[in-house]
Amino acid sequence: MSATGTCEYQAKDYKSDLKPIWCPGCGDFSVVQGIYRALAAIGRAPHEIAFVSGIGCSSRIPGYTTAYGFNTIHGRSLPIAQGIKMANPDLLVLAAGGDGDGFSIGGGHIAHLIRRNMDITYIVMDNQIYGLTKGQLSPTSQKGRVTCTSRYGSMENPVNPLLYVLAYGAGFVAQASPTDLAGMASTIEEAIRYPGFAFVNIQSPCVTYGEEAQQIKGLKAISETLASLGHNPADRLAAMDLAQHYGEKLHLGVFYRNPEPPPTYGDLVKERQDLLSKDALPKERILDLFIKK
Amino acid sequence: MAIQGIDFASLSLMDALDLAILIEDEAQERYEEFAAQMEQHRTPDAAKFFRYMVENESKHGRELLARRVQKFGDAPRVVTRAMIFDIEAPDYDAARAFMTPRKAMEAAMACEVKAHNFFVAALPALKDVEVRALFEELRGEELEHQKLVQIELAKLPPDSGLSDEDFVDEPAPQ
Repeated sequence: MSATGTCEYQAKDYKSDLKPIWCPGCGDFSVVQGIYRALAAIGRAPHEIAFVSGIGCSSRIPGYTTAYGFNTIHGRSLPIAQGIKMANPDLLVLAAGGDGDGFSIGGGHIAHLIRRNMDITYIVMDNQIYGLTKGQLSPTSQKGRVTCTSRYGSMENPVNPLLYVLAYGAGFVAQASPTDLAGMASTIEEAIRYPGFAFVNIQSPCVTYGEEAQQIKGLKAISETLASLGHNPADRLAAMDLAQHYGEKLHLGVFYRNPEPPPTYGDLVKERQDLLSKDALPKERILDLFIKK
Repeated sequence: MAIQGIDFASLSLMDALDLAILIEDEAQERYEEFAAQMEQHRTPDAAKFFRYMVENESKHGRELLARRVQKFGDAPRVVTRAMIFDIEAPDYDAARAFMTPRKAMEAAMACEVKAHNFFVAALPALKDVEVRALFEELRGEELEHQKLVQIELAKLPPDSGLSDEDFVDEPAPQ
């Protein structure tokens, strides 16, 4: 408790007793640390946070936090997170998963959360592979990648997650990596503080099935902070231009932050409820609507 | 290894001590994480070594903290963990299931080299005489630690020739 009477949380307060079973060296260890730090900086109590995930290695992440967690079904973290947020708008809602969960099986959901501007932070741990199921092609795998499902090399172009969400009009788009934990934590914090749908793509190496160039050393070699490039995060077109280098360069930081965030879906629903509530029947008389007089 | 927002030219002795403590804290936490990962993945020898490193980093941190308290009491800290990353802590992907004690020690050795390089790189920018003396001392300690790890490495029997990659499941048709 601080001198002002408010509770102050530390990163360790968000760490659960469950021990991660990720492969040693997995990038997701740093992501969960980054999330602990970001949540401590935000300062909401763990019971005021809901953390929703899909299926995959990275989708185990809610269990490693003390927030309310829901490890849902493959690709469905976002619709469930949306339902939670609508049912209890006061909750801080985070969603997380891998690139397969988010951009393959769950790819159709992202557009709708973006166009509604749901106040949810979506963290994707992008490792360009399906790791939990032992190394199949994922939607962000590079063309030519040899895996057990592409013995002669992938013939498909990868999805570019950054361009994908920017094109749909996401108000906050950022990228981070375990090569800079402090930067990752502050990026996640900034995403949570954004009033609306916020997307953070984290290049999180798969140490077991990932390629050499995608490990920490390889990522360090191609990483560059957007701040060092003098990028203006209010410039959406410049963000799209930089996002085109996904896979070749690792730009870290905020690509785009809408300087004038539109109302969230929750705000609009509240507004509509306020507008209609004066004519609404009291709850105990709702049945009257359906009973013929 | 990254630093953010540290102006070495105006670094005071209190800030420098706090920075050194944070560096030890970060390394201690990372070794703790590694030890837990190794325990979880049935690699007890490497886990034991990482626990030993936790103790070492913790001891250095306590020594520095005692000096800080003696000189500056509980004056508020200005530098933060957000200003440093991976100065003496091993890279996240330095841990591997089934890594040998030799590999674990080599990872620690790389950290001692990294920390030494940090102090060497910072020295030319320092203006304060006491801060410079502290950084020179810390630089010397990192060299000492490298020697200690070298001695321990020399005591180890050679590795079997198998790499930790040999224990990883290859991608296979399902």
